[in-house]
Amino acid sequence: MTNGIIAGAVYALFAVGLTLVYGVFRFINFAHGELIAWGAYLTLAFSALIPFGAAIFPAVALTVLIALTQERYVYAPLRKKTGITLLIASIGLSYFLRNGLRLLWGSDLQSFGFEAARGLVFFGITVSRTQIAMFLAAVIFLGFVWGLLRFTMLGKGLRAAADSLELAEIVGIDMKKIRRAVWIISAVFAASGGILIAIDTNLEPMMGIANLLKAFAAVLLGGAGNVWGALLGGLFIGIAENLGVAFFSPGYKDAISFALIIAILLFKPTGIFAIMKGMR
Amino acid sequence: MKRLPAVAVCLVVLLCAALAPAADEVVVGSITPLSGKLAVYGEGFQQAMLLALDEVNAAEGINGKPMRIHYEDNNSTAKDSVSAIQKLITVNKLPVIFGPAASSNFLAVCPIAQENKTILIGAESAAADITKCGDYVFRLFPSDELQGKGAAELAVSLGYKEVVLTYINNDWGVGLGRVFKDNFVKAGGKIIDEFSHDEGKTDYRTEILRIKKHSPRAAVNLTYIKEGATMLKQSYETGLKTQWLMGSASKSPKLVELAGEAAEGVIGTYPTFSQETPQYKHFKEVWAKKYPEKKVPVFGEYNYDMVHITAKALRASKSYTSQDIRAALIEAAKGYMGVTGDKTFDENGDVGAVYGKWTVKAGIITDYRP
Amino acid sequence: MDYLYHILVIALIYVIFASSLNLELGYAGLYNFGHVAFFAIGAYTSALLSLAGFSPAASMAIAVLCSAASGALLAVPALRLSGDYFGIATLAFGELARLFALNERWLTKGPMGLPGIPRPLGIEAGISGIPVYFFFTVTITAAVLLILRKTTMSPFGRALKVVREDEFVARAFGKNVFSLKVRAVAMGSLFAGLAGALYAHFVTYISPYDFSLNETILVLLCVVLGGKGTLSGPVLGAFVIILFQELLRFLPIPTDWGRFVSPIQGMIYGAVLVILMLKRPEGIIPEHRT
Repeated sequence: MTNGIIAGAVYALFAVGLTLVYGVFRFINFAHGELIAWGAYLTLAFSALIPFGAAIFPAVALTVLIALTQERYVYAPLRKKTGITLLIASIGLSYFLRNGLRLLWGSDLQSFGFEAARGLVFFGITVSRTQIAMFLAAVIFLGFVWGLLRFTMLGKGLRAAADSLELAEIVGIDMKKIRRAVWIISAVFAASGGILIAIDTNLEPMMGIANLLKAFAAVLLGGAGNVWGALLGGLFIGIAENLGVAFFSPGYKDAISFALIIAILLFKPTGIFAIMKGMR
Repeated sequence: MKRLPAVAVCLVVLLCAALAPAADEVVVGSITPLSGKLAVYGEGFQQAMLLALDEVNAAEGINGKPMRIHYEDNNSTAKDSVSAIQKLITVNKLPVIFGPAASSNFLAVCPIAQENKTILIGAESAAADITKCGDYVFRLFPSDELQGKGAAELAVSLGYKEVVLTYINNDWGVGLGRVFKDNFVKAGGKIIDEFSHDEGKTDYRTEILRIKKHSPRAAVNLTYIKEGATMLKQSYETGLKTQWLMGSASKSPKLVELAGEAAEGVIGTYPTFSQETPQYKHFKEVWAKKYPEKKVPVFGEYNYDMVHITAKALRASKSYTSQDIRAALIEAAKGYMGVTGDKTFDENGDVGAVYGKWTVKAGIITDYRP
Repeated sequence: MDYLYHILVIALIYVIFASSLNLELGYAGLYNFGHVAFFAIGAYTSALLSLAGFSPAASMAIAVLCSAASGALLAVPALRLSGDYFGIATLAFGELARLFALNERWLTKGPMGLPGIPRPLGIEAGISGIPVYFFFTVTITAAVLLILRKTTMSPFGRALKVVREDEFVARAFGKNVFSLKVRAVAMGSLFAGLAGALYAHFVTYISPYDFSLNETILVLLCVVLGGKGTLSGPVLGAFVIILFQELLRFLPIPTDWGRFVSPIQGMIYGAVLVILMLKRPEGIIPEHRT
C-alpha cells in the first residue's frame, strides 16, 4: 500500500505535466514520455563528471531545452494542421528520441549505482530512503504547482488558457509566455520524476513510454486538463497497481493502466476524479 | 518509380555475390548477441572465440586454409536469431553455425537448423528441451536436467525442507524450475509457493513482497545476473531476510557489483570443471597474453572449446558438407578433454557435467565450503 | 537468390498489413494505433491451431475470421470515441493484447514463443520452401489488393471517405456512419489477421516481442510515407521500408558498430515521420481530390 502511494505520487508528477500540456495545447504529446527518460539518462551522463546532486540541474535544464526545441520546430509549425498530423508527428518524435537514447546509452539496464541500504521502518511498514525522497520531492513539486496556479498571474493565465484558448487570447493573455511556461513546468516534472524513478529502480530505454501510458490513464481519470484530477488519478493508479497484483500475476501490473484507459474512455470520458471543472 | 525495384535487385545480387565464402577459406557462422540485452556477454563470447581461432590459424588452419567466423548479430532476440540463421543458411550457405546464447533464442532456431540439416552448436544453452532438438544440434554446455538435480540436492543438504521457488519467465527458467521442483519433491521437499518473474524489469518489489509473505527460510531464485541483482538489492531494502539459493546463470562478479552487500551469503550451483588441468592452465595463459586487462568472461571457456572442437572436426571431415562434418564432429568429441572437461557427445548431442557450489563471501564469488 | 525471395515475402506481408491499416486510417479516418493486435491475433491463432494438428491452410482461414470478429467486437464499443481518444484506446488495446500473449503461458507459451510452425499446402518448412511460399504470398497479395480496389471504388469506399472528411455531412446524406466504421474496422482487422498468419507460417517462429509498439510504428510509417488514402501508397511504403531495413543488413559494418544499427534505424524512422508531417503529410503518392 505504501509502495502504491509513493509510486502514485511520482505518477501524479507525470500526469500533472501531461494534463497541463493537454489542457493548453489540446493534443496528446507522445514524446512527453521521452522527457522522463532523457531526464534520467542525462543525469547519469553528468554524474560521471560531477557529483550526483549537482548533475541533476544540467540534466533537467537540458530536458527543458529538448521540450522547447520540440515546440519550436515541430509542434508550433503544425499547430494549424489536423489532429492526426500532430499525433503522428509526436509519435515520430518519441520514436526518434527513444532511439537516440538507445544509441547513446545502449538498450541495457543502467543504474545510478547507489549502494543498497536497509530501509527504515515506521509502524511496521518498511520504506527505503529513496522512496521517502521520492515522496517528499513529489509533494514539494506538486505544492509548488498548486501555489503557482492559485497565487500567481502566470497561474491565472494557465487556468484561463486551459479553459479556453481562444478566450484567453482575446482577453490579451500572452500566449507565448503561457506556452513556454507549460513546456518548462511539464519538462521539469517529467525529468525529475524520471530521475526519482531511476534512483529507485533502474534506467532502461522503454521507461519513458511505459510511464507515459500510466500518466495518460491518470490524466483521463482526472479529466483531461484538470490538474487536481490528474494528481488524484496518479495516486489512484499507483495504489491500484500495487494492490492489484495481489490478485493476478505481476506480469499484468502495467495492464492495469491500459485497462483503465479503455474503461474510462468507454464509460466516463470526462473523468472520474474530475472534481471542480477546469483547473482550480 | 519503376526503376527502383530493378536497382534494388541488382544491388542485392551484387552484395550476395560479394558475400559468398571465398574458395580458400573455411567459414563457420555464428549468431551472437552483439547488441541488445545480452550484448555484454556477446562481447565476451567473441573474444573467447577469437582466441581459439587465432590458435587454429596459427596451426595451419584447416588443412592449410584459414578458418573464419562470420558473425550475425541477433540483437539478443529470438526473432532476429531466426532472421540471422535464415540469412546464414540461404545467403552464406554455411553448413556449421554456432548457435545463439539464451535458450529461448536457441530453441527458436534449432528447428530451422534441423530442417535444413545445418549443424548447430551451442556453448551457453542449458534448457533441457534442447536435448530433443534433433541429430544436427549439439551443445557443449550441460543440460539443466543435471543442474536441477544439483540444485535440489543442495537445498536438501543444507537442511531446507520447504522453499519458495521463483524463476525467470523464459525457456531456461521454466525448464530449470520444473527440473528442480521434480527433484526436490522427490527428495521429500515442499514448494510453498512458485511463480515466474519477467526478464528485464527494473522493479521486482511485488514479487519480493510475495516471497516475504511466506517468510521462508530459503528462497530458490533461478534467474540471470541483472534481474538477480535487482531482486537481491530490493529484498535487502524491503527487509526480506532469507537464504537465497541461485543457479549458474547468476554466478558472476557483476552480480556482486550490482547488488553490493545484498549479495552476501548467496549460495548457488554451477557446472564445475577443474582449474588444475593443463588445458585450463594453457587457456588462462593465452587469455592473459591476448587480453591482459580483461577477466575471463562467463561461458568464455565453453566458446573456446567449441571453436577448437569444430576446427578438429573440420580438419578430419571428408568434405565441407554438413553430413560429413557431423560425422567428424561426433568422432572429434569422443574423449576430447577441453578446458571445460570431457566433451564427448551422448546420443542427443549433449555433454555431461559435474555440479559444484558457489557462494558470495566478503564480496567475492568463491566455491562454497560448508 | 533465396534471400531475395525472403525479403520480398516480408515486403508483401507488410503490403497487406499496411493496406489494411490504410483502409481504417486513410479511408475511414480512424486512428487505429492498436492495429498490430489483429496482426498478432491472426498470427497466434493460425500458429496455435496448426501446431495442434489442424492443417495450416485451414488454420489460416480460421485465424482470419477470428481477427475480423475481434476487430468488429472492439469496434462496436470503441467507435463511440472521437479521433484522439480512439487512438489512445486502440493503443491501450494493442498493448493489452501483447501483455496477454506474454503472460498466458499455458496458451501462448509466453516469452518463449512458438517455434516450428508448419507451412501450408505442403510447402516445405526449410529454406527450400521459400520460393514456393513467395509465389503463394504473391497470389494472396494480388487477391487482397484486387478486393481492396473493388471496395474502395464501391459506394462503400466512397462513403467512408465522406465520413472521414465530415461525419455530419455523411449523416445528412443518410449514411449509417456507425455501421460503415464498424465494417471498415472489421475488414481492416481481417486483412491484418491474414498478414499475421502469413507471417507466422513464413518465419515459423513467433513470440510476443514480434507484436510491439515498434511494429505499430513501422506499419504506420509504411502507410504515411507511401500515401494514405490511396491504393498504391501503402504498397510503395511497405516496399521502401522493408527493402531499406533488409538491405541495411548487408552493409559491411564493423562488428564493433553493429549495435548502433538498430537505434540509428529507429531514429531515421522517427525523423522521417516528423519531417513527413512537417513537409508532406500526404505522403509520396497523394490522394487525388476529385
